[in-house]
Amino acid sequence: MKMRNKSEFRKRDLFYLAPLWLLSLIAPDPYLYHKKEFKKKDLFYFGAICLAPLIWSDPHFHHLMVLAGIYAILALGLSLFMGYAGQISLGHAAFFGIGAYTTAILTTRYSVPIFLAFWASAFSAAMIAYFIGRPILKLKGYFLALATLGFGEIFLVILRESTDLTGGVIGIFGIPWFSVLGFSFDTYLKQYYLIWGVLIGLFVFSKNLVRSKVGRSLLAIAASEDAASSVGINVPRIKLEIFVLSAAFAGLAGSLFACVMSIANPEAFSLGFTVLIVMMVILGGMGNLYGPIAGAILLTWLTDVLSRYQEYSLPIYGVILILLLIFFPEGIGTRLNARVIYLIGYWAKKKKREQGKF
Amino acid sequence: MDFFAYIPQLLSSGITIGAIYALVALGFVTISRASQIINFAQGEFVMLGGVIAFFLLKVVGLPYFIAALVAILIVILIGFVMHFLVVYPLRKASIVILLMATLGTSIFLSSTSGLIFGTLPKTLPPFSGERPLYLFGVSVLPQSIWVLVSTFILLIFLYLLSHRTLLGKAMEASSTDPLGVDLLGISRNLMVFLAFGVSAGVGAIAGILITPIFFTSYSSGALLGLKGFIAAVLGGWGKNSGAILGGFVLGIVESLSLAFIPSGYKDAIAFGILLLILYFRPKGILGSPFIDSRRW
Repeated sequence: MKMRNKSEFRKRDLFYLAPLWLLSLIAPDPYLYHKKEFKKKDLFYFGAICLAPLIWSDPHFHHLMVLAGIYAILALGLSLFMGYAGQISLGHAAFFGIGAYTTAILTTRYSVPIFLAFWASAFSAAMIAYFIGRPILKLKGYFLALATLGFGEIFLVILRESTDLTGGVIGIFGIPWFSVLGFSFDTYLKQYYLIWGVLIGLFVFSKNLVRSKVGRSLLAIAASEDAASSVGINVPRIKLEIFVLSAAFAGLAGSLFACVMSIANPEAFSLGFTVLIVMMVILGGMGNLYGPIAGAILLTWLTDVLSRYQEYSLPIYGVILILLLIFFPEGIGTRLNARVIYLIGYWAKKKKREQGKF
Repeated sequence: MDFFAYIPQLLSSGITIGAIYALVALGFVTISRASQIINFAQGEFVMLGGVIAFFLLKVVGLPYFIAALVAILIVILIGFVMHFLVVYPLRKASIVILLMATLGTSIFLSSTSGLIFGTLPKTLPPFSGERPLYLFGVSVLPQSIWVLVSTFILLIFLYLLSHRTLLGKAMEASSTDPLGVDLLGISRNLMVFLAFGVSAGVGAIAGILITPIFFTSYSSGALLGLKGFIAAVLGGWGKNSGAILGGFVLGIVESLSLAFIPSGYKDAIAFGILLLILYFRPKGILGSPFIDSRRW
């Protein structure tokens, strides 16, 4: 068999080098994100995301994918905190809510431009995460989960009771569409590209982050905090940083959610929603950045399908959650990949055996 | 405005709700003593106890005592089934997975109960009369006294179970020293199985006791469960006495807070206490055998 020299140029390389070069222009850190780190898989996903809404031009599908994109941003941030740093948070629905309400209040009460409100919501979520995170993050395991859950519940109570600021149980209506420099994202298709664009940006950022020094320290912390601190990693600081970062992701997602739904009310940020996003992270597989996005799409689709069964939807949802956890505790992709690799290996061996025989 | 006149009244209602929190907390502690698992569906056992007793009493038409007994047995059965179908397959999984599985069970149980028994809030008649008693100028519902007496009896029962019987000792040992238990030939899975039954039973009794005073609807379990967990952490995680103390402290503080803040913020009080206790004294008021004082 003729071996091809790796540096040899092929004409077909142009097909993916051109969009690759374009993408490298918008990537936040081109120094870390080398061209050779790009895999064909990434390019395939990128193409699929760009083309999917054009192929299925169904508004319901667009809306569903918009929601999935928003949840994916949230799950991506949570995945950094849960999958990489190995912590548990049941309070990210609250940060999502903080983002949504910041956008809602700033745009409807003070008529701040939505582009500013978008950044302000990330900032406010990050600030609150900073103050909450300092005391909470010294906890571990169940107790960390419970403390973050407690924070989420307090947030919900405040939302319901401070009627002057948040509109109480009814919430805030009439949040304008997202717009930049006079260009308004007023159809589902435009919103789709907006949200998946933001998602891709944040994804590339996270991908760089987990390959940086901070990302390596996160993995070390997840493995053992004592060992991590013994090699000179400032464990509380790194944990706080990643908590604040994931809260900022959640704030961005919340802001986009408020723009897309044009309503913010407390019911959207309850414990059930927290369960949904944590499930997205678990289903995608912990410690994997593609996972939360796949999990978000899968679970958004699932909830949409289940919502047809009305009052039966929640019991079925509960059963499906438990079954998924029992059969795919490391995420759907992990188990399937292992299975596929096993099958391929088996097939290859079989082929070899047969060849050896004859 | 005689502000302080309300305080004894609030105190008495605080003690009643505190007893309920204590019972829920005892359910958590029973399971955690056997297996280090935290069952977030504990609140649903409370809800199911009340709702099933209501169903048996009003729809099926059984006598009160038999309806309550059958309801407790059904909930114990649900506890066993939950262990067999959800917790047992996940016994080797990580904390996050177990947490999500018990939360998923909680969603399933509450929504299924709403589907079968209806979503309207339910109330049972009190055990003995509606007429309030007057003790030291404070009106006390007879049901509150029933709640306190039953809590006391259950506490003694659980104390005897865990300190005076071989079964209780085996349950506790299976949590503190899994390897030793395996060497002695005690089945850890059986111990956890039994602990789930006991905690479901305690939860169901709490549900039947509380339903005459507060309305029980299909969705009220989650909050009760969380507050019971807070009570268990507050008193000292893993101790029966801690669960009782934490329950009463939480109930009284929550009730007294009504004198100072709008009632809508009542739920935030419990979680505020939780954040404070986790920050300043994570092992709780009485200290916890499972949490060492330094770092956990």
